[in-house]
Amino acid sequence: MKRLLKLAALLGLVTVLTTGCAVNRATANVDPSANLSSLKTMYVKRVAEDDNTYNLIADKLRSKGVTVSTGTEAAPSGVDAVVTYIDKWMWDMTMYMLELTINIRDPKTDFPLATGNSFHTSLTRLSPTEMVNEVVDNIYKGAK
Amino acid sequence: MILTARRPHLLAVVALTLLLGGCASPADRAAMTPQNLTVSKHYPYSLRVQTGGGAETGAMDSSNVSDADLKAAIEDAVVHSKLFTTIVQGSNGDYELSVRLTSLSKPVFGGTFTVDMETAWSLTKTSDRSVALRKSVKTSGTATMGDAFAAVTRLRMAVEAATRNNIEQGLKAVAELNL
Repeated sequence: MKRLLKLAALLGLVTVLTTGCAVNRATANVDPSANLSSLKTMYVKRVAEDDNTYNLIADKLRSKGVTVSTGTEAAPSGVDAVVTYIDKWMWDMTMYMLELTINIRDPKTDFPLATGNSFHTSLTRLSPTEMVNEVVDNIYKGAK
Repeated sequence: MILTARRPHLLAVVALTLLLGGCASPADRAAMTPQNLTVSKHYPYSLRVQTGGGAETGAMDSSNVSDADLKAAIEDAVVHSKLFTTIVQGSNGDYELSVRLTSLSKPVFGGTFTVDMETAWSLTKTSDRSVALRKSVKTSGTATMGDAFAAVTRLRMAVEAATRNNIEQGLKAVAELNL
């Protein structure tokens, strides 16, 4: 048992030593033909396993003046855009959101009209709310 | 003493961690360019390519695709396939192709690495700004222990394969248009 613990400790040490530095990245881009200000109604398509990120995204979009609904089903007809996201979590003492990608899509074609991504490793981790705020703000900054 | 006595086990753990974990190695533009791509159309127009959404590969990051390398790989594929007559830089091409990397999902640990990629392709006619194509292109690329033993190389190869497949699918979609 002791031997197993020592091996686990060493494994942890090596992992920390090889992956522990701070990496920060925050990017966003909007398709040249897209006009974000014309998108007044959006549907945030919730990932089935997610219990809160979709709510944070919906609230942030509402603060931009967008009428937002959420759900796991296909988007209702009549919305101007569908919002999809990928949130990647990591454990380092506690769970934290390592990376968040948000796509604002054309509801008819699934084409990504705008995309934002933030990536922060453990030492410079942000709360889920801060991650969502950063990504959505960067998307709207990139809009014409 | 303990370390010395159990060195074989410890070395094995360290080696396994280093081999299965990944670290920085940017995707290579030549490896991202589809080889022997054949298309059904050869448009008599010039093309300007712009890319976005990519990222440089930091020292402690995992393999990424930079905007410049993605642009170069697409341009090379267009030239080799003769899909358009010429590639132009600046804003005086007949058509503008915008390719934005919207998602690059990479594993952080494992034996077989599968990378999923999504890009947004849009083709615009420069003269009247009409949109000829708007398409989401989703592809994946896989690299196994047989392809490369070191994780850093294996991850880079999976990213390159996903990008190569993506460029091929995107250009084939462009080739299906009637410009």
